[in-house]
Amino acid sequence: MKGVLLSGGTGSRLRPITHTGPKQLVPVANKPVLEYAIEDLKEAGITEIGIILGNKGRKEIQDLLGDGSDYGVDITYIIQGNPLGLAHAAGCARDFVGDDDFVMYLGDNILKSGITDLVESFEVGDYGAGIALQEVDDPRAFGIADVDDRGNVTQLIEKPDEPPTNLALIGMYVFSPAVFDAIDELEPSWRGELEITDAIQHLLEDGYEIDSHVVTGWWKDTGKPEDILEANRLVLEDTELTTAGVVEDGAETDGRIELADTSVIEDGAVVRGPVSIAEHTTIKSGTYVGPYTSIGANSTLEDIHIENSVVIGDSEITANGRIVDSLLGRNANVESAEELLPEGRRLVVGENSQLKL
Amino acid sequence: MRIITHTCPDCGTVVAANELESDRVMKCPGLDCQAVLRFEDLPEDARDYFLENRDRYQL
Repeated sequence: MKGVLLSGGTGSRLRPITHTGPKQLVPVANKPVLEYAIEDLKEAGITEIGIILGNKGRKEIQDLLGDGSDYGVDITYIIQGNPLGLAHAAGCARDFVGDDDFVMYLGDNILKSGITDLVESFEVGDYGAGIALQEVDDPRAFGIADVDDRGNVTQLIEKPDEPPTNLALIGMYVFSPAVFDAIDELEPSWRGELEITDAIQHLLEDGYEIDSHVVTGWWKDTGKPEDILEANRLVLEDTELTTAGVVEDGAETDGRIELADTSVIEDGAVVRGPVSIAEHTTIKSGTYVGPYTSIGANSTLEDIHIENSVVIGDSEITANGRIVDSLLGRNANVESAEELLPEGRRLVVGENSQLKL
Repeated sequence: MRIITHTCPDCGTVVAANELESDRVMKCPGLDCQAVLRFEDLPEDARDYFLENRDRYQL
């Protein structure tokens, strides 16, 4: 079994964060989203991984992952270029996959329970494909699978008016090499892409059985800022957090706190977990860091009240105010304007930024 | 739709034909690889198919 990890796309819904890097490298609990996928694949016993790269962020992703040896896996890069659809991405991996089965994993997704059950469910049968499903409240907004009483998929329907089930496709698949012949038969959809659901439908029509696996833990597509915040909350809630850094006398801490060994919570600061604080970061006196917050490396916080937020790193946040439900990009600084005249907020804001003042 | 790729003989990086065709001659995008990849490295039938269907490989 091999892994194909999709790491292309423009990240348009995460602008301005993605103006300077790929969406798969946005950190959740101070770890790039893509690393969670690598860990899931490895946990499922998959160590040969093809990384599909688009037109954006190739160098950053290759710089992070290298040849995979830091993660105990062997990585091959596959340059898709134009984002011509998930089936096109899979098709580009044909030479890499060869005659093996493979997992296709969307690199901006995070699953609580990993993919081991999905892989094992596929391997016990003789399937053309296996798909991960999750029960959703609004099936009209998703690609929906209909399944028989053995759990085999009988039909896939995109955003149905009358959904036969509430089981949505969540972007994790296992394929046999038969999918490549199905992809060869596809024509671009109305949006100019080769659709993976069309490839699976082809497999069904060619007589292949399609396994389904219903994911019960949380699953998150981290495509939008609010998704990053929720994924950060979910991961911090579930992850073991270790305090290795210095908590000075007079600092008030409560709950689970991950504090890197080079970071400090100074006298007079308050930190309430779950919180993650990365390397070389200082939480100074007068600062409150509230639950579900991740502070990236090389940052300094002073006087600020911040909670349910993600600070990617290399930031100076020293204003006397409250920041909630926020995502701050690398090198973003928030300083006080209290003694500046004329009074008012002073902003240098990039394209596609969102501010609520 | 036929999906055409070329594998770098030096590092194993796989490059889609649309990427090769857009640059014609390119340094391999693989990590620290100095190989030069060319659209002409593809078999003739693959090149012909791609060029005849080029618009389908664009968004």
